[in-house]
Amino acid sequence: MPWMNRATADRVKFEFKDVDVEFTKHTTNLHVKQEKLIDLLTHLKEKEGYRHFIDHTCIDFPDKRERFQGIYILYNPDTNERVIVKTWAKDGKLPSLEKLWHCARWAEREAYDMFGVEYEGHENLRRMFMWEGYPYHPLRKDFPLEGFPEVELPSLTELYAGRTEPPSHDYEVMHTRVATLEDLEKTEKSRLQKKAQLMLNWGPLHPGTHGTIWFLFDLDGERVVQSDVILGQLHRGMEKIAENIYYFQFLPYTDRMDYISAICNELSYVTAVEKLLGVEVPEKARYIRTMFAELQRINSHLLWLGTGALDLGALTVFLYAFREREKIMDIIEGNAGFRLTSAFLRIGGVHYDLAEGTLDVVKAFIKDFPNRLKEYHDLLTRNRIWLRRTKEIGVISREDVFNYGLTGPVARGSGVPYDIRKLEPYAAYDEVEFDIPVGEVGDVYDRYLVRMEEMVQSLRIIEQCVAKLEKLPKSAPYVNKEHPAVMAPKEDVFMDLEDMVKNFRIVVHGESAPPGEVYASGENPRGELGFYIYSKGGSKPYRLRIRSGALYNLSIFPKLIQDGTIADAIALLGSLDPVVGETDR
Amino acid sequence: MELWLSILITLIKILVVLGVFLGIGAYLTWFERKLAGHIQARIGPKLVGPFGLLQPLADGIKLLTKESVIPQNADKPVYYLAVVMAVAPALLLFSVIPFGPGFKLFGYEIKPIISDVNIALLLVFAFGSLAVYGTIFSGWASNSKYAFIGSLRKSAVVISYEVVLGFSVLGVILLAGTMSTTGIVQAQIERGVWFIVYQPVAFILYLFCMLAESGRVPFDIQEAEAELVTGYNVEYGGMRFGVFPLAEWYLNVMALSAIAVVLFFGGWSGPPIFGPLSPYLWFLIKMFALVFFVLWLHWTLPRFQARDITEIGWKIMLPISIVNVVATAIVAYIM
Repeated sequence: MPWMNRATADRVKFEFKDVDVEFTKHTTNLHVKQEKLIDLLTHLKEKEGYRHFIDHTCIDFPDKRERFQGIYILYNPDTNERVIVKTWAKDGKLPSLEKLWHCARWAEREAYDMFGVEYEGHENLRRMFMWEGYPYHPLRKDFPLEGFPEVELPSLTELYAGRTEPPSHDYEVMHTRVATLEDLEKTEKSRLQKKAQLMLNWGPLHPGTHGTIWFLFDLDGERVVQSDVILGQLHRGMEKIAENIYYFQFLPYTDRMDYISAICNELSYVTAVEKLLGVEVPEKARYIRTMFAELQRINSHLLWLGTGALDLGALTVFLYAFREREKIMDIIEGNAGFRLTSAFLRIGGVHYDLAEGTLDVVKAFIKDFPNRLKEYHDLLTRNRIWLRRTKEIGVISREDVFNYGLTGPVARGSGVPYDIRKLEPYAAYDEVEFDIPVGEVGDVYDRYLVRMEEMVQSLRIIEQCVAKLEKLPKSAPYVNKEHPAVMAPKEDVFMDLEDMVKNFRIVVHGESAPPGEVYASGENPRGELGFYIYSKGGSKPYRLRIRSGALYNLSIFPKLIQDGTIADAIALLGSLDPVVGETDR
Repeated sequence: MELWLSILITLIKILVVLGVFLGIGAYLTWFERKLAGHIQARIGPKLVGPFGLLQPLADGIKLLTKESVIPQNADKPVYYLAVVMAVAPALLLFSVIPFGPGFKLFGYEIKPIISDVNIALLLVFAFGSLAVYGTIFSGWASNSKYAFIGSLRKSAVVISYEVVLGFSVLGVILLAGTMSTTGIVQAQIERGVWFIVYQPVAFILYLFCMLAESGRVPFDIQEAEAELVTGYNVEYGGMRFGVFPLAEWYLNVMALSAIAVVLFFGGWSGPPIFGPLSPYLWFLIKMFALVFFVLWLHWTLPRFQARDITEIGWKIMLPISIVNVVATAIVAYIM
């Protein structure tokens, strides 16, 4: 995806004299003073058409005078251009954008939680992931990776037998803080003031939420008067971890974000890192990646279909979907060695060459799958009850797509053809043919149809990938091992001294990246998964921001469910399809 | 006939019906799980006994040996009463079902029905309405929001469908000229035609009401495990929990199917191809065909939401049923 062009930048520069325009290798940055930020962003949104909010985060520079730099990534759907706006937080304060883009509210809460940056004019500046009363801001550079051990957490043995010498277990005695029940109660109370009859909790563990999200509903009968979401039960500090390990080491962590579409996550991540490192990927690897990413997409959509239908009471679709899912799992397992968190891709290629017979199995799957899809359609698509449960429920308008930073099938269900695979092709997506299905109304039913059609399109892509891979010779390279930052495949490492030394060096010292910044994203089953990497050189990113599609898609939930019933909530949540591993990271 | 003898005969009938239908109810769980398995491309229970036939037994033992956990703030008497109120009306429904024609044994006339009263159908409605107390009590007494919402949903459904149920059956009563269940079957046998031929609309309405009353898909909103965990029985454990599905999903479905057979399918009538047991077998076959249909729906359809169910009940089905009654009355008067 191109970045803001010079003509637009000049226009902006003409309008705002003190805006510095910086054209870096991978991005276009606008530097603006904090006082002018709102004006500039309003101008960009209303005059220049940068109305799709992609992401907001901060970077901590402890040795700079202002310390925190706010980063805003915006997208112009008319010209297909992105821009990054940067500003320094004066006295640790930034203006809130919630009047401009509603989803900025959540991004700001996250930045407040992680950096302690105050947002002026924010209606409810609460912590996003950590609990109320947590004293630290974890993504600050002075917060150590392992945290501050300050609470004593005895093991079960110690509880019964007291402290023994030698100790009964080899953990440290002191631990970092854990949320207590009082903390959680305080968190819950601070989110929602009861207005109606009944406060209903969904979660943190509830069969309808597909993970550890915590929903609060204020109910008047069955009608939802207001609702809020408490996230963070699965918060593992991925971004903090990424800052402390080498680029290649972070790859398996990405699997554990949206654990249902692991390979898509990896693909987004390696795309960003390869851009930063300047790595060319061999043709075969690109096609393998595309094929597996699409298989993973079908896999993920099948899980969505099964659980979504299960939530609405259609028990059989769930098992039908899992039957096909199992076949894809087997294909992935046969190649990567793992079923769920596969860690199959590598920077510069893929981990293994295609396993023998893979293409035959995939071909059999392609042949069989359309019949299965027909089964799902037969069961649901024209079913009266299904229509009644999904039509006209949770209608998202096109403006809201931009205002809430919605991406993926949720955006496409509302008729916005936003698909990174077309707009900024990565892997081999520019060499295969496929269509982007879009909805018209933007209700739950449209999102259902969009996802169903996406599976058909994925099948088309896979078919083309198989045809291409069959033509490629078996000896074609699947890793670009010539590049100094790319590890050679294992069989070469065992046979070749040079490769062994190189691998040894990378494993010990990491890849050395040039200073610079890059934002690259991939089209995940749950929306745009973006990686913003700010590198100061060296083998670890200075800041790695993960733009989660699921989080932004979820941010519209409280608005949509207002005045709906809790039965609608379950249909709606299924259609937004968040995965907590990715929303919390 | 002496009093004590008639009491004894009634007791024996009660024991036979209880034994047979509680046993069938338990085995219906096995049948449903097998059926669901085959519908869903899996096998279903197969490890406990041959073809998994001992599975209901294993389930029962498991449920009986569970620790009984009662929520702290539960209203204990009502909490226990709810279990009774759930299962008693479902069992009482069987008391007015005629399983076959009367016969003579040792010189005594015996009717295979526990109480052949002339207001049998009224009793059916009364018991159906009573069943809602089990749900309400369980939801209220367990002091849980999920259970509470589930029970409220269920009562909304039952109230709206009781009315439709009553109207849909009125047509049959008009045709038969009696409210006694044996009388209705006799009327069909005498005319040589099943009432479903005269009352197809009423039968479809009855089918809907039957699903709604027994809380089967697509009307299982009081359960709605995705939203309400399992709804009104979420705070019950062990066999106390087991009683609710047994009463609602199995006994109620069987009883209502049996009544449907009586009303619309000529009860025990059928060609005598099974010898002397023929009427009873015909009755069971017809009943299980309906039960099978209900189970089949359960594993195929999604569920409605509460709003839609009451809307369909009041706005669509009630007018249709009233029109049906009026039309039947006029036709019956003219003929």
